[in-house]
Amino acid sequence: MTRPDLSKATAPVPADGRPVLEVDDLHVEFRTRSGVVHAVNGVSYSLTQGETLAILGESGSGKSVSAQAIMGILDSPPAVITGGGIWFEGTDLLTQPEEEQRKVRGPGISMIFQDALSSLNPVYSVGFQIGEMFRAHRGMSKKDARKRAIELMDRVRIPAAARRVDDFPHQFSGGMRQRVMIAMAIALDPRILIADEPTTALDVTVQAQVMDLLKDLQAETGMGLILITHDLGVVNEVADNVAVMYAGEIVERGTVDDVFTRPAHPYTDGLMSSVPQVEAKGGRLQPIVGQPPNLARIPSGCPFHPRCSRRRLGAEAAPGRECSTDVPPLRLVVPGREAACHYSEEVLGVRAQ
Amino acid sequence: MSEPSEHGATAASSLPAAVPGDHVHSSLTKLTSGGAATGSRGEMGEALLEVRGLQKHFPLTQGIVFKRTVGHVRAVDGVDLTLRRGETVGLVGESGCGKSTVSKLIVALERPTAGSIFFKGKDVARMGGRALKEYRREVQIIFQDPYASLNPRMTVGDIVAEGWSVHSDVAPKKGRLKRTQELLDRVGLNPDYVNRYPHQFSGGQRQRIGIARALALQPEVIVCDEPVSALDVSVQAQVVNLLEDLQDELGLSYLFIAHDLSVVRHISDRVAVMYLGSIVEEGTAEEVYSAPSHPYTQALLSSVPLHEPHLRGQKDRILLQGDVPSPADPPSGCRFRTRCWKAQDVCATDPPALVDRGQGHPSACHFAEARTVVPVDAE
Ligand SMILES: Nc1ncnc2c1ncn2[C@@H]1O[C@H](COP(=O)(O)OP(=O)(O)OP(=O)(O)O)[C@@H](O)[C@H]1O
Ligand SMILES: Nc1ncnc2c1ncn2[C@@H]1O[C@H](COP(=O)(O)OP(=O)(O)OP(=O)(O)O)[C@@H](O)[C@H]1O
Ligand code: SF4
Ligand code: SF4
Ligand SMILES: [Mg+2]
Ligand SMILES: [Mg+2]
Repeated sequence: MTRPDLSKATAPVPADGRPVLEVDDLHVEFRTRSGVVHAVNGVSYSLTQGETLAILGESGSGKSVSAQAIMGILDSPPAVITGGGIWFEGTDLLTQPEEEQRKVRGPGISMIFQDALSSLNPVYSVGFQIGEMFRAHRGMSKKDARKRAIELMDRVRIPAAARRVDDFPHQFSGGMRQRVMIAMAIALDPRILIADEPTTALDVTVQAQVMDLLKDLQAETGMGLILITHDLGVVNEVADNVAVMYAGEIVERGTVDDVFTRPAHPYTDGLMSSVPQVEAKGGRLQPIVGQPPNLARIPSGCPFHPRCSRRRLGAEAAPGRECSTDVPPLRLVVPGREAACHYSEEVLGVRAQ
Repeated sequence: MSEPSEHGATAASSLPAAVPGDHVHSSLTKLTSGGAATGSRGEMGEALLEVRGLQKHFPLTQGIVFKRTVGHVRAVDGVDLTLRRGETVGLVGESGCGKSTVSKLIVALERPTAGSIFFKGKDVARMGGRALKEYRREVQIIFQDPYASLNPRMTVGDIVAEGWSVHSDVAPKKGRLKRTQELLDRVGLNPDYVNRYPHQFSGGQRQRIGIARALALQPEVIVCDEPVSALDVSVQAQVVNLLEDLQDELGLSYLFIAHDLSVVRHISDRVAVMYLGSIVEEGTAEEVYSAPSHPYTQALLSSVPLHEPHLRGQKDRILLQGDVPSPADPPSGCRFRTRCWKAQDVCATDPPALVDRGQGHPSACHFAEARTVVPVDAE
C-alpha cells in the first residue's frame, strides 16, 4: 500500500521562531445553575513551527477546555470565553466572525480528542467519516475519498484497513478508534495539531509507533504539536517544552529537561514524585495530599496552597508572599523557566543540592 | 442475561428487583474483621474466579439491508485465568487484543462463545436468577471509557447510588446520601458534587465516579478496565493507593487491566500478557518484569517511555515490525509470528502452548528465553 503524500500541500518551511499560535491570557468559564466554574483562568502560551509543547496537569485543570477554546468547539452556553486572545498566524481568532474563524481553523488547526468513542458518529462507517474530510474540504468524489480513507487507516496502522473501512466505530476497540481519530486529524495536513490524550488507549508498542508517526508528520510538514497528556514518559520522550496546569492556570513552564529534572513549582514536584516506576516495584505511591480544587470556589491566594507542603502562612511568610492571600504570578524564576510560586527559588535550591 | 452494554448502570438496572437475604452484610463484616477465625487471611489464596478456555467471537457482517456473516472477529480465543482471593492480577496487552471483551465476559455483560467462568467453583453460565444477581453484585466493573459509561441524565449521586435500588440491603435507605458522599470523598471527589451531572466533570473526574459506583455495592471482585488511564499521575497514585487500601481492608480481588506497565507492576501480584485474543506469558509481577521470556512481552517492556530526562534513549527499544494482524484472520501457529524477530518455520505451523520451558514461568513461545529489558539500575 502506498503512503498518502501528506507533505504535498505544504512544503516544509524552516522554523523562523515566530509563533504559529499564541494564546494570550485566555479565560473560560462555565455558567451553570450551581454557579460559575472557572475552568481556564488566564492561560498564555505560544507554539512555533515544528515545536512540540506538552500540557501536563491535574485532571480537571482546564487542559481540554483551553484546547476546545482554540478549536472553537466549546458549547456556549454554558461555556463563555470571558477574556483573552487566540492568535493564529497573525490574527486573533476571537475577534473574527464565526464564519471566518471556521475558514481559518478548518484546515489550519485540527485536534485529536480524548473521547474517541463519543467523537465518532456511531451511524456512519469509519471510512465514511474519514472520507468526509476530503469530500467536505477538498471536494473529492466519494470513491476517491474512500480510497484516501483506506490509505490513512493504513498509515495509522489499523490492520486490514481495506476490509475494515466500512466497519462502524463500535466494532473497533478503544485503541483502534483513537487511531481512526488520528487519521481524521492528519487528513488535511494541519499547521497545528492538538492531541488531547492521543495515546491513552494504546499499548506502549503502538503508542511508540503513533508518537513516531506524529513526529514524522511533524518533520515533514513543520506542524506544531500541542500534546495534552498525563503520561510523563511520553512527554519526556517527545516534547520540547512543557506547561504544567493547575486549577485553570499554568503554574510552571520550561523545557522538558529543566522542568522534569528540577521542578520549580511544588505541584510539579508532587507530580514527579507520584509516578510509579517500571524499573522498581517500590512501596506505596506518593500522591499529592488532598483533593483537587472545586473550580467554582478556587482557593484564595495560591490555588495550590491547601495542598502545598511548602506553603507559608501568616507571620511565617515573607511580605507580599503569604500563600493563602497573595496570588503568585507566573514569573521568570531562572532563565528559560517560569513558575507561579512565591518560593520557587527555594524549591529549585533544595533540588539542586 | 442482559444485552452487551457500555453502561454499567444499564446493566445494573436490568437486573430482577428481588431482594436477597442479608448475608451480604455478614460476609462483608466477616471480611473486615481481619482477626476473626475465618478472617480474610485464612481465605487468602482461595481461587475465586477461574476462567477456562474462554472464547468470544463476534460475527463480521457485510451488506446494509441483508446482513451476511462473512467471518468472525476472534476477540477472545482461549483465555485461562485464575484470580485468587485478595490478589491482583494485571492484564496487559496490545490495544484490541481482547482485554475489554474478557472483562465484559467476566461480569456477564457478554455471553461467551465457548469456555467457562467459575466463581467460587460454580459455573456462572449455569447460575439461576438469585445466584446470578448475587454474582453481579460480587463482581463489579470499572469501565475504560469514562465518557460512555456514565448516564448523562443522572446526577453523580444517583449514579453512585443506583446499584442500591437493586441491592437495597447493601446500604440502608436513611444513610444513603451520607454514604454516597463518603464514597465520593474516598475516591478523591469533592462530596459537594453529588448533585452535578457527568458532563460537568473532566475525564479523570468521571473515572472516579465509576470507581465510587463499583465500590458502592461492596463487591468481592472488581474488574478494573483501565481505571487509571484517564487520570493524572497524582490522582492515579491516590486511586492506586485507595484500591490497595480497600484490598487490605476488605480482601478484595482485582483483575487490573491497564496499558501503563509501571502501574501494573506496582499493583499486581501476578501479571498476564495478552496478544490477539490469548495469553502469551504469565507469572508473578517479578518474573514477568525482570525475566520476560516471550518476545512480545520483551518488546512491550522495552517500549515503556521513562520519565527521567537522563534515562532518555538509554534503553534498547525493540521496535516491532509490521502491523497487528486482524483478529478476524489471525496468523496460523503462533499469532505473534508476523512481528516476531525470532520466528522459525515451526512457528507458522504449531501454536505454542502456554507452558514453562525452563524459564521459570509459563510463556507461549517455542523459543522462550528470559531476557532483561528494563534497565535494572535506573536510579
Ligand atoms: N459543561 C461543563 N459545565 C461545568 N463545568 C465543566 C463543564 N465542562 C467542563 N467543566 C469543568 O471544567 C474543568 C476543566 O475541564 P477539562 O476537561 O478542561 O479538564 P482536563 O484538564 O482536560 O482534565 P482531564 O485530564 O481529566 O481530561 C473541570 O473541572 C470540569 O469540571
Ligand atoms: N461488538 C463487537 N463487534 C465486533 N467486533 C468487536 C466487538 N467488540 C469488540 N470487537 C473487536 O474485538 C477485538 C477486541 O476488542 P477489545 O475491546 O476487547 O480490545 P481491548 O484489548 O480492550 O483493546 P483496547 O486496549 O483498545 O481497549 C477488537 O478487534 C474489536 O474490534
Ligand atoms: S505559592 Fe505557596 S502555596 Fe503556592 S505553591 Fe508556592 S509555596 Fe506552595
Ligand atoms: S513461537 Fe515463534 S513466532 Fe511465536 S513468539 Fe516464539 S519465536 Fe516468535
Ligand atoms: Mg481533558
Ligand atoms: Mg479495552
